[in-house]
Amino acid sequence: MTGAPPAEIVYLPRWRPRGSRPGAHRGRDPGGLGTFRDQVPFLALPDARRIDLRATLRDPFEGVHVRRFEARAPVEVWALVDLSASMGFRGTADRIDLARDLCAGLAASATRIGDGFGLIGCDRAIRADLYLPATRRRAAALAAAARLADAPRAARSAEGMLDAARRLAGRPKLVFLVSDFRWPEPLVARVFAALALHDTVPVLLADSAEDAGLPDWGLAELDDLEGGGRRVVFLRPALRRRWIAREHARRDALRRAAGAAGARAPFHLVDRFDADALSRHLLAT
Amino acid sequence: MGAWSAISGWLAGFGAASPWALWLLPLALLPLAASGRRRAAVAALSAAPPDPVSRWIARALTLAGILALAGLILALAGPYRAGERITRIGVGAQISMLIDRSGSMNETFAGRQPSGAEESKAAASKRLLAGFVGARSHDLFAVTAFSTAPMLVMPMTDRHDAVRAAIAATDRPGLDYTNVARGLGMALSQFGDESGVSRVLLFISDGAAVIDPRMQDALRAAFARIHPNLYWLFLRTKGAPSIYDRPPGEDTPQAAPERHLDLFFKSLGLPYRAFEAEGPQQVADAIARIEALERDPIPYTEVRPRRDLTGACLALAALGLAVLALAALAEADLSARRRTVERASPVSAEQIRRAA
Repeated sequence: MTGAPPAEIVYLPRWRPRGSRPGAHRGRDPGGLGTFRDQVPFLALPDARRIDLRATLRDPFEGVHVRRFEARAPVEVWALVDLSASMGFRGTADRIDLARDLCAGLAASATRIGDGFGLIGCDRAIRADLYLPATRRRAAALAAAARLADAPRAARSAEGMLDAARRLAGRPKLVFLVSDFRWPEPLVARVFAALALHDTVPVLLADSAEDAGLPDWGLAELDDLEGGGRRVVFLRPALRRRWIAREHARRDALRRAAGAAGARAPFHLVDRFDADALSRHLLAT
Repeated sequence: MGAWSAISGWLAGFGAASPWALWLLPLALLPLAASGRRRAAVAALSAAPPDPVSRWIARALTLAGILALAGLILALAGPYRAGERITRIGVGAQISMLIDRSGSMNETFAGRQPSGAEESKAAASKRLLAGFVGARSHDLFAVTAFSTAPMLVMPMTDRHDAVRAAIAATDRPGLDYTNVARGLGMALSQFGDESGVSRVLLFISDGAAVIDPRMQDALRAAFARIHPNLYWLFLRTKGAPSIYDRPPGEDTPQAAPERHLDLFFKSLGLPYRAFEAEGPQQVADAIARIEALERDPIPYTEVRPRRDLTGACLALAALGLAVLALAALAEADLSARRRTVERASPVSAEQIRRAA
């Protein structure tokens, strides 16, 4: 992505953000400018500039009505990036490159419309060198995203996600949970539970080399990136079917876990970062 | 401990030309820790479903690796199995042959010099005995010839080729006299000291001689000590007196030496049979009967020569390497970048933004 402008991601928060600062998303609090929301009696909102003459004249009780508008407020977009060893996987694409492209896209898209972008990289714990508090400064956000590609990935677990979720306390945020979700089942559930207050979008980094791209026949020696040892696998059509079925089952389990915690359905980022596909997904879920 | 000593005893039969190479043998365990195959890094092993077939193949490949390394290292050490003598039990006997080399053996059964297709007694007995020697593999043979003096032709041995050669040498023109007593003494001395062995003294002659009484006593003692089965193959010339013929005049050893030798043998108290043959066919029959009679177990020694096992080790290594090579050929490249380029969706970001 270096050089080329980051792709643009369109997202809609599920909730109405509060706050008086002007932003791009429909806010919960009424404000002076924006989309018309409703009319309220003058006494409730004594703002003479926005008296709705037509509604006032129409009122048989001769009350004075004031128009109220929706304020547009900013949100904070956070990317929680798994930096455990399994993120070092290279198949059709380099997994960390996918994460970097995604984060660069998010950083650019968020800062473009005045939203803050924050980044937390974590493996066993939060990685201090890859922590970016939510900022609206585009350059800082993009630089943090670019740093992802060079981040060492050695740890064998992603327990730091829990710390990261704790650090996101406070107002609801749009949280992108970027990982391959090669986690133990309980950790998945706990992370989703810890992020239940936020609008969470799990982004499953997948690779066609891991399922559909498997050869029909052959002998392969698998080496676990997270230190799980070696294993020889004799690939054949039956095993390949079982393998793919297992991957589907894993994705289903992730979707169920996300649904149970109120998060959005996982977005499958396979092989190539496609900003438009992510935008469609974000608008649809 | 019994098993341990058995194993160490078994190992003692082996040796190596350059034993220092055996210090490398622990390297053979290397395949347990590493493999030469291309590794495909995967995010999680759990992605691959459990598969017993793969597990067995993995074990087989590890084993093949160990086999290949161990075979090569062993071959480097130049292993051999030390030569040794093994005592086994077979069917056979110690057979001491006493063959008459007197001049009359060179005549035919008709008592003439052989001419044309005729065969002398010596040639016939040589031919037939040669077959007898090869018939059973575990017999031990000794060959003694005698005429005036006994001749030790071949001591007790299991090298049948040598025995056949010794027998082949007996048809050389013989000397004159027939000195049975000393021949018998030497033939008896051919037997070893082992007990529990069936012993056979095969005495082949075409005549007999008087054994003087002093020699008779010595022979009796020797026969009693050794206790062989005694077979006398009497090659009777046409017209000559039979073993069983009483002489017309006085019945003295000098008048009928054959008959009195027979009587002497009978008086020894041994298993004894005399065969009277008047032609090659009868000789063959007699030998066949002797062969059939001597069917006792005999311990025999087999010499196993030192054997080089390098080839076997290399074969094992080749087997292991072949398996590994097959595995290498069957290797699948998981990291091959199968780029399935998906067309970018025609809906642009702008349109989506507008829709939002």
